[in-house]
Amino acid sequence: MLRVLLAKDLRRAWRNPLPWLINLLVPLAMTALLGMVFGGGGEGGSLGKVRFAVVNENHSRFSDFLRRAAGSLSQTNVSGLQLEPVFMDRTNALREINANQLSAVVIIPTNFGRDYLTARVPVQLELLKNPAESIHPAVIEEMLGVVVTAMNELSRNFHDDFPEWRSVFAGKDDYHQISFLIERVGDQLKSAEKIIKPPLVGYTKDETETASLAADGKKPAPAKRDELHATFAFLLVGLAAMFLLFLGQNAMTDLHREIRKRTFERYQTMHQDIWRFLVSKIIFAVVMLLICSVVMLGGGGLIFEIHWQHPLALLALAVGYAGFVAGLSATLVALVTDERRAAVLNNVAGMGIGIIGGCAFPARNLPAFLREQLTPLIPSNWFVETARHLQSGDPAAAGWGWVLCKLILGGVVLTALAAVLFRRKFKVGLRA
Amino acid sequence: MSLLKVAHLSKTFGAVRAVEDVNFVVRPGEIYGLLGPNGAGKTTTISMLSGLLAPDAGEVLVAGTALAADPQKAKRIMGVVPQELAIYEELTGRENLEFWGRMAGLSARDARARTEQLLASLTLSDRGNDAVKKYSGGMKRRINLGCALLHRPQLLLLDEPTVGIDPQARLNILEFIRDLRTGGTAILYTTHYLEEAESLCSRIGIIDHGRLLAEGTFAELQERLGGDRLFVLEADFKNTTPEAWPGFLQRFRLLQQTERQIVVAALGVRDPADCFKELLNLPVPVENVTLKRPSLNDVFLQLTGRELRE
Repeated sequence: MLRVLLAKDLRRAWRNPLPWLINLLVPLAMTALLGMVFGGGGEGGSLGKVRFAVVNENHSRFSDFLRRAAGSLSQTNVSGLQLEPVFMDRTNALREINANQLSAVVIIPTNFGRDYLTARVPVQLELLKNPAESIHPAVIEEMLGVVVTAMNELSRNFHDDFPEWRSVFAGKDDYHQISFLIERVGDQLKSAEKIIKPPLVGYTKDETETASLAADGKKPAPAKRDELHATFAFLLVGLAAMFLLFLGQNAMTDLHREIRKRTFERYQTMHQDIWRFLVSKIIFAVVMLLICSVVMLGGGGLIFEIHWQHPLALLALAVGYAGFVAGLSATLVALVTDERRAAVLNNVAGMGIGIIGGCAFPARNLPAFLREQLTPLIPSNWFVETARHLQSGDPAAAGWGWVLCKLILGGVVLTALAAVLFRRKFKVGLRA
Repeated sequence: MSLLKVAHLSKTFGAVRAVEDVNFVVRPGEIYGLLGPNGAGKTTTISMLSGLLAPDAGEVLVAGTALAADPQKAKRIMGVVPQELAIYEELTGRENLEFWGRMAGLSARDARARTEQLLASLTLSDRGNDAVKKYSGGMKRRINLGCALLHRPQLLLLDEPTVGIDPQARLNILEFIRDLRTGGTAILYTTHYLEEAESLCSRIGIIDHGRLLAEGTFAELQERLGGDRLFVLEADFKNTTPEAWPGFLQRFRLLQQTERQIVVAALGVRDPADCFKELLNLPVPVENVTLKRPSLNDVFLQLTGRELRE
């Protein structure tokens, strides 16, 4: 009979596939969107090339110096960023930014060098950002901010030398003067070395563990060639757990329909026990949730080149978690059979469990009470933390089998609870 | 022997007594009609009989076995046709029948064979492969009915199976139900349509506000009103008290009085012509006297003081 019930639901889903397609496509779209933000594989770093124009309207040696400094950026790769400065006049720069060929335009205005070195009037560098982009122009703006800060500090600390530098840039001094100036600036910079380059506190991973793994013949963890990929993998697990909570509730709206359409009642006029009916709904929901998990975790991993360290264990955990979510959703339906009121409860429950369970952001960021008392009790947290431990190679991941058992047991208990609640509701008259 | 026996059945929802001390039996080959207006307690009664609702008091015996003691046994021989359509609109008529046949315990082969029989009986064979959502209201009602018949139940509970469909479709369903009776099925049929109860049911129970007010064959119910004829008098009866008319209550029973009309039944077996003469000689100038057969509405009126159609 379970097979007949499942076949009926599958046939109905096949005849009306749109809700299920949306359920599958939405998480895939969200995964793709977040993946593009955090990492997309391939060369050139996670943000790709940032093409920007430098317009030099000053035409002095000083601005040429700045221009050459900007040109040298194309040889550097700053934290995964590859910069591509191009040099052109204002008209061409405006045309290209309107044609979406540039992320930003930096304009060195007329008399910039003279005004800066004389410090008679405040100087400004002009920045035009491409409104069609958000990240690349922001990067250029930040870098320009750094340049402006550096120039302000230079002005503050080397103001007395500026007249001499002015004459250097005007071409009036000989090499003796220039070398004397450079030596003096060098001495000043050396005396401020501790301020310019303060000692930084940091940490490095113990490489001996990685080496010993390689010696065992097992594949060592791949080098983190892109920290953003690791961040995305970390987030993807939590997002998947959160999405599955809401998808599970969507899957169980079919139970609401069966109540509303009185087909559940009709079943009960034929059978005293309702557990088979419920279990068929649970199995159906688990199947759909598993497909969604594969789409999100597997598809996300394929598209964004995330190498899942223990895919089978992760899949098993996903099955267990899907069972828990399906059982929880069935219980929520049994508690509130009215579809509209249930939608409110489902959203609140989903958000609450997701946030307290550490799906949306790491549990360590939660208030102490939640973090210490509630989070460890939430099955979403068990799934998310175990999956993250599996991915990071944390020894705590060794207990994934026990977590799987807990998730399955949780699903079974919730399904039984749903059956008890439905039985009670039927006794007093079940109505949607 | 009765297939269904209901004794002192009661159900209360808060302060509302939905069903109160209802007693009746349904025998094999009989259609027992439960007639009452909306809110009378018909659906609540059916829900308790089908095991959907637990009664607060009373007993239900199905083929001699208490429903509470062995509900699964009772459900095996029972078929329930709910008032609302309880079918899957995405599936075809054939798929719906086969599914509910499997739910009723039939094997796949038996369910398929029985489905074909029912589709033919319900004259839906040519539409069996269409999705139910494309069916007309009458066709959906027929499929709804068929889904309860796959396992050939000995007891059939029908809760207003013709509500909301056109007269022709209703006639087809009533004809189908009549044929079921000939096979020995005991049928409990709830309705608020007088003509259905009159034409279809062997015995009728009149229910209102949760209480079974009267039951019997149509003739027995008519007899409650004093025979098989009623007299309808039209005149100005405002500020009149027929009870005060000399000898009136010794010869007639007053069933209903309005400002322009009274309905009376003759007491005892009397010649209608004599009754006419006496009525025309009443202290009030009578404008019109009509003779009619009592209907169920008249019975309901006499029992409750209001018409069933209100």
